Amino acid sequence: MSSAAQHYAILSKRSIVNTFRQPISIIPALTFPLMFLAINSAALNEAINLPGFPPVDSYLQFMIATTIIQGALFGSIAAGGDMARDIEGGFFDRLYLAPISRSSVLVGRVAGAWTVSFLQAWLFFGVAHIFGLSVEGGFAGMLAVSGIASIVGAGLGAISMSFALRTGSAEAVQGSFPALFAFLFLSSAFFPRELMSGWFGDAASLNPLSHLIESARHQVIYGWSVGEFMQGLAIAVGVLVLGLVLSGIALRARLAERA
Amino acid sequence: MSSMRIAWGITARSLKLIPRLPSTFIPSLVMPVFFIVSFSGAFAGLVALRGFPAREMLDWFLPMSTLQGCAFAGITTGLGVARDLENGFYDRLLASPAPRGALLAGPLLASMFRALIPLTLLITIGLVFGVNVPGGIVGIAMLVVAGILLALIAGEWAVGVALRAKTMQAAPLIQMLLFLVIFLSTAMMPLNLLTGWVKAVAEVNPMTDILALSRQGFLGDVTWATTWPGLLALILGAAALGLFAHRGIQKVVP
Repeated sequence: MSSAAQHYAILSKRSIVNTFRQPISIIPALTFPLMFLAINSAALNEAINLPGFPPVDSYLQFMIATTIIQGALFGSIAAGGDMARDIEGGFFDRLYLAPISRSSVLVGRVAGAWTVSFLQAWLFFGVAHIFGLSVEGGFAGMLAVSGIASIVGAGLGAISMSFALRTGSAEAVQGSFPALFAFLFLSSAFFPRELMSGWFGDAASLNPLSHLIESARHQVIYGWSVGEFMQGLAIAVGVLVLGLVLSGIALRARLAERA
Repeated sequence: MSSMRIAWGITARSLKLIPRLPSTFIPSLVMPVFFIVSFSGAFAGLVALRGFPAREMLDWFLPMSTLQGCAFAGITTGLGVARDLENGFYDRLLASPAPRGALLAGPLLASMFRALIPLTLLITIGLVFGVNVPGGIVGIAMLVVAGILLALIAGEWAVGVALRAKTMQAAPLIQMLLFLVIFLSTAMMPLNLLTGWVKAVAEVNPMTDILALSRQGFLGDVTWATTWPGLLALILGAAALGLFAHRGIQKVVP
C-alpha cells in the first residue's frame, strides 16, 4: 500500500472510531430525524388520502427517504464540528507538522461521514420496519437509498468541513445548520411536488434536493428503478464533488496562512 | 430602590441587548418567518382535506408560527440569564441588595416585551400577504394575548432551567421541550384529522387549547367557548412555571 493510501486508511479509521467513541456527537443526527419521522408520520397520515398523493401505505412510507437524507444532513454538521474542534484544539497543526499527505485529513473525515450516513440509513430502515414500513424496492432498493444517502452525507460533510477550515470555529459550523435546514424545507422533502403550486412549487422543482429525495423515495414507494437510482446518484456525486472542491480550496487557504 | 425599579432596570438591560447582540434575537424572528413561508408553501395542498378548517394555509400557520416566535423570545431571555451565570454577572447581581423577586421579574418582563417584536412583524407580514381574519381586531387581540403569555411561560421555563444548570449548554434541553410541546399538538393538523398516538397526546396537551385560542380569529369568529380553555391553560402554565422559576432562584440565593 502506498504511503498516501496508508495515511488515508489511518485517518479514516480515526474519524470513524472517534465518532463512535463520542456518541454524544451523533445522537442529534440519530434522534432528531427519527423524532420528526415519528411526529409527522402520525400527524400527517391523513394527507395520504389527498387526490394526487403518491400511492403509499402510510405517511411513514412517504417520509422515510426524507428522514434518511435528513440524518445525513445532521451528520454532516458533526463532521464539520469535529474538524473545527481539531483546529481549535491544535491537533490540526500537529497533524500538519507530520509528514503526511495533505489531502488525507479531508479524506479521513469524508470517509467517516460516509460510514456514519450509511449505517444511519440502515438504522432508520430498521426502526421504520418495526413500525410497519414496507419498501417496494426490497433489499436492492434499500441498498440504493443508503448508498445515495452515504454519498450525500460525505458531500455535505465536506461542505461543512470547508466552513470549519475557513472559520476554525465549531460555533460557526453550527451556525451553518439553519441554511442547510432551510434548503431541505424548500423542497419536496415533506410533501409531494405534485400537490405544490405557485412560487414554492417552482422553487422546490429547482432544488436538487427535491430530485434527490424523490429518486430515493421512488425505490421505497414504486420499487427498484435504475433510472431513478442513476438520477439520485448523479446528484449525490455532484454534492460530493462540490464539497471536496470547497474543502480543498479552504484547506489550501488555511495552510497558506500557516506558511 | 424599589423592586419594580430594579426589575425594570434588568428588563431594560435585556431589551438593550437586542440591538447590541442581534445574533441572540434574530433566530426568534427569522425562524417563524421561515416556517410560515415554507409550511404554507409545502403543505398548501392540505386545505383540500375534508374537514380542514382553513381556506388558506397562511391562515392556519400564521398563528402557530407567531406563537413559536413569541416562545423563542422568552427562551432567549432565559438563555441570557444562563449567559450571566456563566460570565459572573449574576454573582454581582446576587451580591447587590436587589430583592430576589426583582432578579426574577426583570427577565420575565423582558420576555413579554420581546414577544411584541415577533407579534408585530409576523402579523404585519400576514396582513401584507393576505391572511384572512374573519374574527377581526378581536381575533388579532387573542393572538397577541396568547403570544405575550406564552413568551412569559417560555421565559419562566428557560430561566428556571438556567438557574439550575447555570450554563448555556442547557439550551438544547430548553428548546427541545418547547419544540415537543408545540409539535405534539394541533400545530400541523386539526384534532379531527390527527391519527394515532399524536392525536392522543394532542387531546391532553394544553398547547392545543392555546393554539385554538390564537387561531380562532383567523378561521372564523371569536367565541368564549374556544377562548376560555386556552386562557386557562396560559394562566395555569404561567403559575406553574412561575413557581418553577422561583424555586430555581431560591437554589442560587446564598
